[in-house]
Amino acid sequence: MIHLKNVSKVYANGTEALRNISLDIEQGEFVFIVGASGAGKSTFLKLLIHEEKATFGKINVAGFDLMKIRKRKVPYLRRKMGIVFQDFRLIEKMNVYDNIAFAMRAIGSPEKSIKKRVGAVIDIVGLNGKEKSRPSELSGGEQQRVSLARALVNNPEMIIADEPTGNIDPKMSYEIMKKLVMINKRGTTVIVVTHDHELVRSFGGRVILIGGGEIIRDEIMPSKIDSDEHVKDGGAAE
Amino acid sequence: MKFSSSGYLIKEGIKNIWNNRMMSLASIFVLVSCLIITGAATLVSLNVTSLISSIGDDNMINVYLNYELSEIDSIKLGSSISKIPNVQSCEFYSKDDAITDYKETLGNLYESMQGDGNPMPNVYKVQLKDLSKYSDTIKEIKSIDGVASVSDRSDIARKLTKLNSFVTIIGSWIVLILGIVTLFIISNTIRMTMYSRRFEISIMKSVGATNAFVRIPFMVEAMTIGLIAGLISSITLIAAYEPIRSAAAETFYFIGQSSVPIDNLWISILLGLSGAGMLIGLLGGFISITKYLRKEGGEILGW
Repeated sequence: MIHLKNVSKVYANGTEALRNISLDIEQGEFVFIVGASGAGKSTFLKLLIHEEKATFGKINVAGFDLMKIRKRKVPYLRRKMGIVFQDFRLIEKMNVYDNIAFAMRAIGSPEKSIKKRVGAVIDIVGLNGKEKSRPSELSGGEQQRVSLARALVNNPEMIIADEPTGNIDPKMSYEIMKKLVMINKRGTTVIVVTHDHELVRSFGGRVILIGGGEIIRDEIMPSKIDSDEHVKDGGAAE
Repeated sequence: MKFSSSGYLIKEGIKNIWNNRMMSLASIFVLVSCLIITGAATLVSLNVTSLISSIGDDNMINVYLNYELSEIDSIKLGSSISKIPNVQSCEFYSKDDAITDYKETLGNLYESMQGDGNPMPNVYKVQLKDLSKYSDTIKEIKSIDGVASVSDRSDIARKLTKLNSFVTIIGSWIVLILGIVTLFIISNTIRMTMYSRRFEISIMKSVGATNAFVRIPFMVEAMTIGLIAGLISSITLIAAYEPIRSAAAETFYFIGQSSVPIDNLWISILLGLSGAGMLIGLLGGFISITKYLRKEGGEILGW
């Protein structure tokens, strides 16, 4: 699914954000990317979604060679992934339904399938009854669930969550993580960038630690939570 | 882009105009001014060209004879004019005929202007065969002994041609300057709309919307602004054309004869100005959108 070989990124101002990184993330994996501010996590994500191009090395994401990809093909790469932002990035003038539907409209999906699919993801993230609410009428956790629904609605092969719990309280963070685990159990690759070590320790799984632009550690950590509980709780809204 | 999305994209474009109405109004106002000046300059030029052409078509010239020339010498001179190869016909118009034609205008003076008191010269009304030899024929006629002057319409035609070039040059400069200002205003309007919708654009790009898909609502917005301005300016010009033409015809009788009536023009004005408006809108929109779409992620949001 994601293959990086000897990847480095040097910005125009000379900053070396990533140095000789190699890693493979396979279909269906749940991966935490952790590291301090300035470690290179954001650059890593930008390379995956092709907001930035690597200076050296090879990157292949969902079958796209990102060192050779043509500009007009980038939208098709991005349709393979759903992105969850720390700041939710919801459109205030749209209600919950339209915020989610917007992601489908943006790729030209017909209204009929939009209606069907949006209803289904609202169900998955547990926002039934909130369809007509504006983002400002929702709590931080609910807003992040809308953001998650929007990332899911186009049925991507992977979810990339950039600090998804950064702006919400610990209880809500736990809920969001449970949803992500549940989505992963259904076969979607999930990559979570975070600096919330407590959350990482709770949920466990593959943890990649980035520091100074390099991979310092790549290991499997045991979960403190029963995996069946993830699915049961996360899937409760289904 | 799928056909099913076109309705959604057009609706979004129209919504943009309303959401950004102050800038849209400013763009429409400037574009209307530009199009009215362009249209007016084109119409003036069109009418001057028509006038020049009608003068050219009128191949009749008046040859004024020396006042002292006797009636017999005047008639003899007619045969010299007729011998010139480019002369088709040559009709004598005596000074008595001329003064009789002015009888009503002269009133009491008419009696005193009979016979020796007649100030009019004898005239030949000469019709030419080939207008391209106009100047040479005029020279030849002027060289005949007894000819005082010739009504040289080529001078009027030359003056009108000069006026036409002047209108064209000044009009082109005004249109060029206003065109640049309009492009600037429209591209700024679109840039403002794009800025106000930067979250939507960044989300669209992150979920895999193609640049064409992101671009269409803004192009629709720019083209609609152009179309509205085109319609307003063409309706204004069409409405103002006939009253201005009548007023001008009252002052200069020849304008009434040679100017182009609105019936022959209104469709061209409507289509021309609406098309020009849409084209300027399209161009202005395209410039700013293309610049904006090169941005990625945080750049779109201004971070």
